[in-house]
Amino acid sequence: MEKTIVQFILDNIFLFVPLGAAGIIATLVLYFLPKKVTSEVSEDLSTDFVTLLKVRLNIYVGVYFFVWLLIFIIGLLSDFLIPTIIGGIIASIPLFVLILFERKTSKSKGTGAHGDH
Amino acid sequence: MAIIEINQNFGENTQLLAPFIIVIAIAWVFLVYYSYKKYGARMTLVYFLPIIIATLLIESAGVAGGRYYYPGYIVYLSVVGGAVPLIIVLAWSVNLFLFMNLGKYFISKVYHQKNFLQILLISLAAGIFGVCLDLLEDPIAHHNNWWIWEESLTGVKFFNVPILNFIGWFVLIFFICIVTLLIERSKFSENRKVLLSISSLAFTGLAIFMVHGILVKIFESLGLA
Repeated sequence: MEKTIVQFILDNIFLFVPLGAAGIIATLVLYFLPKKVTSEVSEDLSTDFVTLLKVRLNIYVGVYFFVWLLIFIIGLLSDFLIPTIIGGIIASIPLFVLILFERKTSKSKGTGAHGDH
Repeated sequence: MAIIEINQNFGENTQLLAPFIIVIAIAWVFLVYYSYKKYGARMTLVYFLPIIIATLLIESAGVAGGRYYYPGYIVYLSVVGGAVPLIIVLAWSVNLFLFMNLGKYFISKVYHQKNFLQILLISLAAGIFGVCLDLLEDPIAHHNNWWIWEESLTGVKFFNVPILNFIGWFVLIFFICIVTLLIERSKFSENRKVLLSISSLAFTGLAIFMVHGILVKIFESLGLA
């Protein structure tokens, strides 16, 4: 009989409780020990862009598109048309949303810069 | 059972497994290299190692629990009784890093303040992006036997994939994303961030365990799972 992962963990509670307890204690020790303060990780998102064929593209959007496109092609080659097309449409929504927002914000930036002159 | 198992019959009972593995391998190598160049080795560990450990446990438990299995891969890892292909664990680490950064990119355009709400919004967006891609990937995977869901599983399915799978995707990406962003934005040294990212899996695991368990119960009571 199949079990959900939750059921599996409950059945093996004597394995997971010591692991979890060790993790919780280690986290508390690491969190509350005197800490050496450093600067935060840089979150400069403007460096995540490349220009391909005169098109400015976010690297992560590019990787998502790469995975989406190739899985979509594999789905078509598998003679699994309807689920691939339906799944492909749903999975393309993030691409459209991200590209739409990028265009909108770059347009508004352009308008703002023009207004400054 | 050995921790590492090697299968001599690559691609057995599967279809188009090699192209799938190549796609994941290219994405993984590219993103790990990019993360290393941009953030350095320690932060790359913070982004990739915890999700590798978490999904190794979760996927191994899923296989050991008899819900699904992975035929035809070469290298398998087994930690709690179920054999999980190495590439699947690496694919999960790509998922987290990719969807978290897509979430950052998207939310940075609509909400600029760097606070906990922004972290929540980024994690929410990351979880939704993840589920969107999985709605394409999982049915194709099941059709081509890259992983096989037990036919006897009941409840609502999306092209033979149980709906709880997608809930699981969302919950996992959402919680690990929150913790990763909290650690990333903390002011600890990078060494401590690495250790915290691994030890905090106990908290993340507990949250995932409880929320997923509650959602399973709700779906079961509604007859959807």
